[in-house]
Amino acid sequence: MDFNPCMKHKLVRRTVRDFSEAELGPIAHEIDRDARFPWEVIEKMRGLNYFGLQIPRKYGGAEVDSISYAITIEELSRVCASLGLCVTVHNSVGAQPINSFGTEKQKERFLPPMASGERIGAFCLTEANAGSDASGVETNAVEVEDGYIINGTKIFVTNGGICGVALIFATVTSGTDKPSTNVFIAEKDMPGFSVGEIEDLCGMRANPVSSLFLEDCRVPLDNCLGQSGSGIKIALTALDSGRIGIAAQALGIAQGAFEAAIKYSKERQQFKKPISSFQTIQNYLADMATEIDAGRLLLYRACALKDGNKPFGTEAAMAKLYCSSIATRTTNLAMQIHGGYGYSKEYDVERYFRDAKVTEIYEGTSEVQRLVISRAVLSQHT
Amino acid sequence: MTTMLKLVTCIKQVPMVSELPWDPRTGRLKRNLAGGMINPACRHALEAALILKNTHGAEITVITMGADIAEEVLREALAMGADRGILVSDPKMAGADTLATSLVLSKAIKKACADFDLILCGCHTSDSETAQVGPQMIEELDIPGVTYADQLDLNGRLLSLQRLSDNFIETLEMELPGLVTITTQKQAPRYVPLAGLQDAFSQTDIDRLSLADLDLDSELAGAKGSPTKILKVYSPTATKDNTVLKGSARKIAQQLFDQFDDKIGGAIGKDIKNYQERP
Repeated sequence: MDFNPCMKHKLVRRTVRDFSEAELGPIAHEIDRDARFPWEVIEKMRGLNYFGLQIPRKYGGAEVDSISYAITIEELSRVCASLGLCVTVHNSVGAQPINSFGTEKQKERFLPPMASGERIGAFCLTEANAGSDASGVETNAVEVEDGYIINGTKIFVTNGGICGVALIFATVTSGTDKPSTNVFIAEKDMPGFSVGEIEDLCGMRANPVSSLFLEDCRVPLDNCLGQSGSGIKIALTALDSGRIGIAAQALGIAQGAFEAAIKYSKERQQFKKPISSFQTIQNYLADMATEIDAGRLLLYRACALKDGNKPFGTEAAMAKLYCSSIATRTTNLAMQIHGGYGYSKEYDVERYFRDAKVTEIYEGTSEVQRLVISRAVLSQHT
Repeated sequence: MTTMLKLVTCIKQVPMVSELPWDPRTGRLKRNLAGGMINPACRHALEAALILKNTHGAEITVITMGADIAEEVLREALAMGADRGILVSDPKMAGADTLATSLVLSKAIKKACADFDLILCGCHTSDSETAQVGPQMIEELDIPGVTYADQLDLNGRLLSLQRLSDNFIETLEMELPGLVTITTQKQAPRYVPLAGLQDAFSQTDIDRLSLADLDLDSELAGAKGSPTKILKVYSPTATKDNTVLKGSARKIAQQLFDQFDDKIGGAIGKDIKNYQERP
């Protein structure tokens, strides 16, 4: 068991860090303030394979291993969590389901433009009355000749305002058959597909999270993903991988806040000493460092299992649960260390604090992660 | 029939600028604690090579002298678009000054890519700032060379170069083969593509050369072959001594030259005290 990162993973970290600090660092505050999606940076990211991280080479992707993937999301999010979110959702729950469940024809059609970032992906499960309950989707698909007609509204869609491809989970009712959940690949130019207003959210403000409306949207058979009735399986498989991405994102936010706290604690003088010389602050920093390290180990273990083609769902859920909880704790302590300045928008910790919370909510709430973990634990101890 | 242009880029692994830990007792860099990176000027030299490759087609060999860990900068260069990496490494090469380094690199190039057309080096390194290795290699290899270039334009075997010299731009021409050292003034180096990084580890081997491979006397390599002796390393103390000159413009100008002739002369490269106007 080797806990040291290999040369490749060290280089991935430095490569993404160099890019993030140079290109995202100078604008992270402004795009959060203005809730602006930075297309100018996306253009630069497109040629560097950020949108084809785990897409196979034959479709134009970089096909990186899962630890490289996690490090990439971690480092983007360390500087700008909104962009980390865009990249991880696009890759893990946008493109990967097409790669895992799509036909060869669908992969050839959709994956190359997704790998290049020409078409950004979105994952549309959540509705007004469905989210944690994936089987409760009310968006309805009716089979017609050569396809389906879909009606419904998806909410809180990450990348919603910019997506070119959206995976729509819908309930299919046909005749006397039991209703089933299917997945449809909707495209932004399809008649009946439209984007709602961008949500005014607490954090992740540079990501255009929106509702998506499907009004008599006709989706051809060529755009049906997986077998009929396999929607829940596709959702759960996608979310297992998605949790690695969100855990990495949460870890990156925690790391960014932690580094900001260390820097500030060495600069800020009280009682003619830097506050880092006080034991209370030292205890805070020690807790933050320990928890971040523990989160990183949990995350990389899940990644290593995935790369070894072993079951990783429970471990990914543990990583997501823990990393998101330390993201909120670490950003809270980082703000505490910054005192009044930390509560001001002048300092990055205020943004980290707002960004952290949602990692406990999306791609499976912490409560759902506990459900996943407890089921595994109970089944192992019969 | 034309043959493929053969470029060699010499790169050095230097400590990360942001992580430069110092031992305050000895004044020395704790190199083992800092992360390594491609020296910034070497990265610009590699970018110049990659631009030539994109425009003319070329095979780029990157070469570095260092410990095993220096393989990392070669892999990074491969990820950026270089074709071949050579690590020149031997415990007997440790402690080399610029003379021993330039000798080893020149020998390695003669050994591994003797048919080179152009060698590109960074103009200086961020950890020692001597700017000597490139010029010394020009001497050792006995080839034409230009230092501090920031723009290259190749036309057949003729290389046009530009360099900023004080407040004017020099345009020079050089026949290949030759060596050029590159500044960090122009052409920001490209970012590393993540697919390239995967390939750099999965599809390319790094060639290794030891002292024995170079057929070089060990007395001429490493600390033994280095006449330079470092007596002391220390951080300069920053001071903010302000002097306010008062009076008429003529009087201020006179005081300026009387009191600061050495500093002004140093800045513009002229001996002001003994300066005589041309008749």
